[in-house]
Amino acid sequence: MYPDHLPLSQELRDSHAQSWEQIASPGDFFSARDRIEMVRIAREALTCPLCEARKAALSPRAVDGMHASRSSLATVIVDMIHRLRTDPGRLTRSWFDQVTLEISKQEYVEIVSVVNSSVIIDTLHNALGLGVPALPLAKSGRARKNYNTETVEAGAWVPILAAEEVMADTGLPQVPNIARSLGLVPSALDLFFSTFRPHYALKDIPLSISQAQAEFVASRVSSMNECFY
Amino acid sequence: MLLRASGQREDKTYNLNSITDTQLTAGVDNEQHLRQLTEAAISGDWLTLQEHLRAARKAMGYQQAIDTLVVAAAFNGITRVADATGIPLDRNTAETTIEMRAATGIQQFEYVRKSERYG
Repeated sequence: MYPDHLPLSQELRDSHAQSWEQIASPGDFFSARDRIEMVRIAREALTCPLCEARKAALSPRAVDGMHASRSSLATVIVDMIHRLRTDPGRLTRSWFDQVTLEISKQEYVEIVSVVNSSVIIDTLHNALGLGVPALPLAKSGRARKNYNTETVEAGAWVPILAAEEVMADTGLPQVPNIARSLGLVPSALDLFFSTFRPHYALKDIPLSISQAQAEFVASRVSSMNECFY
Repeated sequence: MLLRASGQREDKTYNLNSITDTQLTAGVDNEQHLRQLTEAAISGDWLTLQEHLRAARKAMGYQQAIDTLVVAAAFNGITRVADATGIPLDRNTAETTIEMRAATGIQQFEYVRKSERYG
């Protein structure tokens, strides 16, 4: 996906290529075609007039209307993707509760994984001046309907992966909550963190910038996206 | 909050207020370039980003400039996972960062507070 002259690790190149293939494959709750459509809608959201108006309003709930996207996906999913892409810092529990009246929590988790894996890949492509990669071709097959039945309620909006709280020397548990967040659908957890992993580590970061520089960048992104975690 | 932990490991004190107050500096190397690259990448200002990339390349070297973007891209995704799942802070982090979160303004991003503000 990336030209050879760019100083990117082979692990990152391989993981992004694999993630793109995974997005183009059937998931556990959506077909390959639906998953590719999620990426297309996420891109379209960036120029959506309704999203722009909502972003400018004191509360996103203050502005009603229709998104610019026409899609084979359900309206609630299109709206979810637009909000996730353009205004993630103002997602709320009551909004989540409304969404999950219409789709299952498993479907919700798969959408979060696919969209945000593509956000990482698209952001890096754009930042490197490459433009976003072409959408992949859908592979055949049916959604498998597999999910984790042994998740736990731990204060998140969705049930998360069960894990013992064993502390690491980073000051965080060996499996931090964020790494458990998509655990309801193992394939969703795998897709997102396979995409993310070559970009960052909690210690001894395998990049040319220092750990403190990486944490500064991470903190600045969290602040811009109004992320609490 | 990991910037704080990173400072503790390196026996350095970074100004954490700089995370939410862009007039301040944290004290990390090449901070201005890190900030400019990150802000342009996350706001999608691709033309300005290419200008910042040229300046950062001179100051930090190409590899470090690119690696800054590698980290920024990752966090543009993972912050959305956190926000979409309402994932709580890990217990140790929650217990040891109460004052810091209040002082820096990070607490305003807490999910219950957001729900109160935005419905």
